[in-house]
Amino acid sequence: MTVLDIDQVDSGYGDLQILHDVSMHLEEDEIVCIIGPNGAGKSTAIKTIFGLVQPWTGAITLRGTEISGQMPEDIVRQGISYVPQTDNVFSTLTVEENLEIGGVTVSDESTEMIEKLYDRFPILEEKRSKKARTLSGGQRQILAFSRALMVDPDVLLIDEPSAGLAPSLVQDVFENVKQINSLGTSVLMVEQNARAGLNISDRGYVLAQGQVKYEDDAQAILENPEIGELYLGG
Amino acid sequence: MNVTIPKTDHELGSTSVVLLGLIVLLGLAILTGALTVSYATYLIALSGMYVLLALGLNVQWGYGGIINFAVVAFWGLGAYVAALATARTSPLGLEWHPLFALVVAIIFSVIAAILVGLPAIRLRADYLAIATLGFSEIFRLLVANETHITAGMAGLAGIPSVLEDLPFDTVTTNLLVVAVAGALVFLFLRRIHRSPWGRVMQIIKADEDLAESLGKNAFSFKMQTFVLGCVIMTIAGVYYAHFIGYVDPTDLDPLETFFVWVAVILGGSGSNRGAVVGAFILVAVLEGTRFLTDFSIFAALSTGPLRLLIVGVLIVLIMRFKPEGLYPPRDELIWPKSQTDTEGQS
Amino acid sequence: MSVIQLAVDGIVYGSIIVLGAVGLSLVYSIGDFPNFAHGDLMVAGAYGGLVANLGLTQIGLQPTSVFSPELLVTIVAGLAIGIVVAVATHYLVFKPLDSGPIALLITSFGVALIYRSLIWMGFGSSARSYNFPRSGPIGSIRDATGLAVTNRMLVIVLATAVVVTTLHFVLQYSMLGKKMRAAADNGDLARISGIRPRETVLTMWVGGGALAAMGGVFLGLHTLIRPLMGFDILLLIFAAVILGGIGSIYGAMLGGFAIGLAHEMTPVIPGVGSEYGAAVAFVIMIIILLVRPGGILGEETT
Ligand SMILES: Nc1ncnc2c1ncn2[C@@H]1O[C@H](COP(=O)(O)OP(=O)(O)O)[C@@H](O)[C@H]1O
Ligand SMILES: [Mg+2]
Repeated sequence: MTVLDIDQVDSGYGDLQILHDVSMHLEEDEIVCIIGPNGAGKSTAIKTIFGLVQPWTGAITLRGTEISGQMPEDIVRQGISYVPQTDNVFSTLTVEENLEIGGVTVSDESTEMIEKLYDRFPILEEKRSKKARTLSGGQRQILAFSRALMVDPDVLLIDEPSAGLAPSLVQDVFENVKQINSLGTSVLMVEQNARAGLNISDRGYVLAQGQVKYEDDAQAILENPEIGELYLGG
Repeated sequence: MNVTIPKTDHELGSTSVVLLGLIVLLGLAILTGALTVSYATYLIALSGMYVLLALGLNVQWGYGGIINFAVVAFWGLGAYVAALATARTSPLGLEWHPLFALVVAIIFSVIAAILVGLPAIRLRADYLAIATLGFSEIFRLLVANETHITAGMAGLAGIPSVLEDLPFDTVTTNLLVVAVAGALVFLFLRRIHRSPWGRVMQIIKADEDLAESLGKNAFSFKMQTFVLGCVIMTIAGVYYAHFIGYVDPTDLDPLETFFVWVAVILGGSGSNRGAVVGAFILVAVLEGTRFLTDFSIFAALSTGPLRLLIVGVLIVLIMRFKPEGLYPPRDELIWPKSQTDTEGQS
Repeated sequence: MSVIQLAVDGIVYGSIIVLGAVGLSLVYSIGDFPNFAHGDLMVAGAYGGLVANLGLTQIGLQPTSVFSPELLVTIVAGLAIGIVVAVATHYLVFKPLDSGPIALLITSFGVALIYRSLIWMGFGSSARSYNFPRSGPIGSIRDATGLAVTNRMLVIVLATAVVVTTLHFVLQYSMLGKKMRAAADNGDLARISGIRPRETVLTMWVGGGALAAMGGVFLGLHTLIRPLMGFDILLLIFAAVILGGIGSIYGAMLGGFAIGLAHEMTPVIPGVGSEYGAAVAFVIMIIILLVRPGGILGEETT
């Protein structure tokens, strides 16, 4: 079943069009990876889905309900959550406060959810009263994921989870994504680290100059020599 | 782009219509006895001074996107250097020739602009606004309190009028000087705006990173813009001192800075013609409020607050309904060729 | 005057600045623009208090001391006006503008002129004062320490302490307070998390207006009430906010006291008189902007 459907969307900033006729979809329990060069519009695509950038034309539907035109604060109430590429934690709030804010829309189950996340990521419990800005890059990324998971989403959008992390931590991040997925969350992920991203994904899209240039099973993209040369660094 | 760009001649025409309208109004006011001739000439000379100020700020904000909330300080620098160097009552007792004082004022202005600009121009826009306002207030406090140099709150009287050596009466000279100065500055700015320098400045304003990637040192261009604007403001200040003959620290009220801002945003940020028209309208508003209080419904009000109210409401309304101003810079002949091209297509 | 006396004066003046600075900082971080009307918003609160205060006198209530229910009424009336004016301005001016920080900044100056002119028209340009007895320094404190502390000074400092402490608990422990801090820290992430900007922005104007009004009433209590006093204090408040780091409520508190102290203690600097109190504060502000724009407490940001 299609959980998220992006249908012929144009969008951009002010007068500047970035996305041109972008169509993508995410099926139940899938991991889908969007790859493409810097400035291709990958982040813009995610922001457009989540209402931070308004689509100019086209439709975005979540389980059949149209969400295009809605505001982020309303979209998050519909079982979808988003981990931005940068500035994805409240750096002046403590770890626990970050989680509480992540759970504002589900405040009844908030404490329970925090306990669950503490069980899963003991480092967060250890640092619960530390300000987020004191965390290391890897810890910060765990917190960013956890903040988004507070609403127990069906669909998770993740923008470049491995960006800026030490190579030794990259694998952990992808393990986390796989685990989140195995617990019943469909994941749409942008990744610069295209090979690693595709490796854990079911399908992939190649976005360039704001257009979907190619889509296929992740494995097929990895094996496609032309794409390998153009987008996977040979 | 598929915007229709009005013909430049047509726009120039409408500028003259507005200005002509104001002058006709002025003429009528004199004929009907509402205004005396001397008050009318005073108004025109005052408008000329605000034209200079608005042109100076337009260079900075309109061309360069640099927020300057210290307009009154650079104007005051000119007024005070002129007064201190030439006035009979100056504690410095120099009594220089006004032209010599003008040159010194410009030199001081360049130095002050560099000293303020070097550290400040790199700041984020809102910080720059606050920092320049801080500089402006520090300058005012220094002038008000360093009595042994500036005469303090007593102010400086006995400043000679503009170019007393010219064979005209004072009123004519005042008008002539400000008209010539305004025209020269206007033509000069128009010229540089269309020069390669002006084009680089436009790229910097639109996209500083792009300009840097083209190998243009944005900081250096912005500094030049800032200094140029400050010098024009200082010239306006020098003129004011000789025109009015008296300065004191209350002239340095930051409110003046915001009056000039109104002229620029009303006229259209980035447009020199807009700055000119904006300055005339500003003076009409500032001085016109005097007459409003003659009408019975406003009789209970004093001029001061009514003037503030109108200026405040003007700012809010322009920003809400016409933030591009009366003459958006798009209408200016910047890239004449590209404009005709666009016109051909639309 | 002794250095300690100057410091005491600085804490009193600093309290007033703190009240202004915390509100300005809230608006700066959540509303994302420097509100140049904040000083005049304080004045609106001061005059709101004045109306109530004169009304009380009119019905024959004559406070015998500044520690009186009349003061409470004066403050509450000021708060009400401050809140109404701030919220009304939001809906009438700032919200429909829907524009970037620079347009809001310029507009806020227009708003400042409107406040100022209306107050001036309504109340005239001459200085007014609240009807409370002006008693001299409190005897027992003077005997014990040699310091001149009046009842009014005591009221201002104590009330500010109470407000600041309450605010601390609200911000630190209530969900609304956490939402406010989250919105101030990162507006987009707050929305992504489901915080409605409507709620935080309205709270910001209510809180900012109330704190500004309280500061205004105390400014009037400490000195006199003048329609033009808003601009004089505005830059000092900006100095406090910048010193403490924009968006940092605790920074604004610290910055407020620091600027209050700097303002009152300038005579300690050799060759500089009290007439340069404001100038010294502005110099501090400019230096902070240039070398550490994130504020003394804040992160290094530009
Ligand atoms: N807030 C913005 N305003 C204007 N242009 C933007 C903004 N954010 C991104 N862009 C532009 O949109 C294009 C796509 O950016 P982005 O979606 O971040 O690319 P990617 O995530 O694929 O690297 C880039 O050219 C970028 O400069
Ligand atoms: Mg990106």
